[in-house]
Amino acid sequence: MSRPGEAREPPGALSVPGAGLPLEEEVDIRLRADASSRRPVLVCFTTALFWLLLGSIAGDVSSLKLHLPDLLVRQGWLTFGRQRTVHLNAMIYGWASLAMLGVSLWIVPRLVHNTLRWPRLATAGVVVWNVGVAIGIALILAGINDGIEWLEMHRYLADPLLVVGGGMVGVTLLVTLLSRKVDHLYVSVWYMFGAFVWFPVIYVIGNWPTFHGVESGAVNWFYAHNALGLWLTAVGLGAIYYFIPKVLGRPIYSYQLSLLGFWGLAFFYSLNGMHHLVGGPIPTWMITTSIVASVLMIIPVLAVAVNHHMTMIGRFSALRYSPTLRFVVLGAIAYTAVSLQGMFTALREVNRITHFTQWTIAHSHVGVYAFVTFVLFGSMYYIMPRMVRREWPSERLIRWHFWLVLSGIAIYVIALTVVGVWQGLALIDPQVPFQRTVEIQRPGLVARSVAGLLLTAGHVVFVWHYWRMVRGPAAARELPPFYGVRPIVYTEPGGKP
Amino acid sequence: MTRVGLLIFGVIATIGFAAIILVGLPRVALFSVTAPPELQPYDPVQQRGRHVYIANGCVYCHSQQIRNAAFTTDVLRGWGDRASVPADYVYDRPHLLGTMRTGPDLINVGVRLPNADWHLIHLYDPRSLVEWSIMPAFPYLFEEKDPEAVGPGDRVVPVRGPRAPAGKVVVATEDALALVEYLLSLRRVYPVPEVESAPGAEGVGPAAGAAGAAAARAPASGPGGRTMP
Amino acid sequence: MLPSSLAVLVTGLFLGAIALGAFIWAWRRGQFDHLEEQAHVIFDERDYRLERPWETEAEREERRRLYGEPVPPEPGEWGGAR
Repeated sequence: MSRPGEAREPPGALSVPGAGLPLEEEVDIRLRADASSRRPVLVCFTTALFWLLLGSIAGDVSSLKLHLPDLLVRQGWLTFGRQRTVHLNAMIYGWASLAMLGVSLWIVPRLVHNTLRWPRLATAGVVVWNVGVAIGIALILAGINDGIEWLEMHRYLADPLLVVGGGMVGVTLLVTLLSRKVDHLYVSVWYMFGAFVWFPVIYVIGNWPTFHGVESGAVNWFYAHNALGLWLTAVGLGAIYYFIPKVLGRPIYSYQLSLLGFWGLAFFYSLNGMHHLVGGPIPTWMITTSIVASVLMIIPVLAVAVNHHMTMIGRFSALRYSPTLRFVVLGAIAYTAVSLQGMFTALREVNRITHFTQWTIAHSHVGVYAFVTFVLFGSMYYIMPRMVRREWPSERLIRWHFWLVLSGIAIYVIALTVVGVWQGLALIDPQVPFQRTVEIQRPGLVARSVAGLLLTAGHVVFVWHYWRMVRGPAAARELPPFYGVRPIVYTEPGGKP
Repeated sequence: MTRVGLLIFGVIATIGFAAIILVGLPRVALFSVTAPPELQPYDPVQQRGRHVYIANGCVYCHSQQIRNAAFTTDVLRGWGDRASVPADYVYDRPHLLGTMRTGPDLINVGVRLPNADWHLIHLYDPRSLVEWSIMPAFPYLFEEKDPEAVGPGDRVVPVRGPRAPAGKVVVATEDALALVEYLLSLRRVYPVPEVESAPGAEGVGPAAGAAGAAAARAPASGPGGRTMP
Repeated sequence: MLPSSLAVLVTGLFLGAIALGAFIWAWRRGQFDHLEEQAHVIFDERDYRLERPWETEAEREERRRLYGEPVPPEPGEWGGAR
């Protein structure tokens, strides 16, 4: 791909190890890339954390109501059916999506060794996205929603803002990609790029208003499962592929495997969606296709797992020193776990027991929390010092964050998986009255509330820490951490030393 | 990979194929699903009730689909006498198939629980009728009026139990009445011809037909006065 | 059952053929050459040479051999006092 008007770098200058540019120039490129993405990235992360807190509160309220059902029932906006929906939408489209936009906006300039093009378009896009989410959530609280799981936000008043805002960020990234100063596109670029193309396509299809009946169900789960796999997972994997090698200082184990992993994901994942409707009034061939595709996912999932593991092997002690690795590596393990779990539960004989139970909730949180959210936490721990040009103020707060959310998600997943299986076994036994299937969940529902409070506490710690870091003393802004090992004087982009 | 073009092609191609298979083909295949003669479209009150159902998130605890009796025990549990078929849902926009059974399946709740007062009391205070229930209460779908203020057109709800408001009368709002009308309209017990209505449908098979025939001979899922879901 | 299985089979083969075709085309166009270089795009000098506290002596030697003199971390870079 030619870059009009620009002299090409000597071939291979930036892509051959050890024979790169003088350190000063490498540092300069990184600094310029980071400086260019600073504002949009910070807007992404700050707003993402707002939605994380709001979503956490909605989640806690919902969880408590399942074992304290007469809690706060007098107002419509507090009813379980709306709080749960707010929780899901705030976490997916608020927290996760915005944090992912931030990670993408930081990573792509770094990967193409150039500055972010049109950063103001990106920032504007992020603002538009936020407005869309805010409108969508406000309407849900008021009892106005589209009635489709994962797509409840209003299709005319809220959703178009996500498409437009996301599109603005996507255009920024595309233009940045096209102005790249490297010959090779690192695997993370494929994942990020794929995500930004896939998301608007599935979002528009999912929201298309003319579907009704069982078709509406098929389209619903075509969208929702692909939102998980082609949006959340794609950016999550892109981040893992970057941060593990970067912190370790060794390249990913097998680039061939990463190719297989990416195209396998693209090809098979997109056909999985109907496994949410096993047993339902959908043509059998569609469900069979999805089950087959779910099982074929073993190929890309193993490729990715082997790649990550073989890169990490012998170096797991790095998790003691790097919060980024702590979160990202555990997230990578969770990705493998949730994928294997998903393949297993797509099989009809297993699905017979797990469908309609708390197992599904546990499974989804292994994915969106233990995998996606952990990877986003790890990414933010790496990116933020480069945005505000100082280190995280407190190691203790990092540890508190980590242990609170790790214990929270562990309790969450174990409790709901166990009671989900009990519930499922009870549901398929017609001798067991429905009452029993409800009562049998109770210990897990209470444990989940405890877990939820731990998670929320961890989020509060993280947000507090983030706030302290961003608002830190101005004097600290002069020092560039990680860059100043030798007499390189830090320069403003394009300026004098 | 060095070519942005290849990446773009591959990315679009993969989602395009999936959309063709999971959205396009079904569009063609299900185009011919017609409403059975016994199934009426929702009238305006029922449609309003459907919106109330959606607005309050009922779908997050209740499913509306009976699975094939050869596959599992939905039918034996008494939630329906046959598996659900695509034809049952032609008037559903959007679908409310559901993915959780924190509460019972509702596709035939109008058969199991045909009493409007039961539903009104249950919505106001579920635990006054079903003490182990964890369903949310929906008092905001009702008004609590002084006895003198009750008008001739008001639907009074005979609530009871510890959460009944002292000295007040509970009156159903339009939304509550509409929701109950919608719930009562949930009955899909007409027979379906196996082949015509659902070609290859997951829910319909020889066992479902037999179970349906057997259930038709025996009393279906309990008499109308049952209060247990 | 048979017609629907056939549909899946035919569709699968059709898709698989296209995927295979794209793969072969990309191979011919040299998309899969120099793959190992691509894995290094993300690194700069400091990433290669930074001392990492978890590495064994053998791993440090390897790093020195491949990339040159090690670069000491900033105070507090890997935790601990700043």
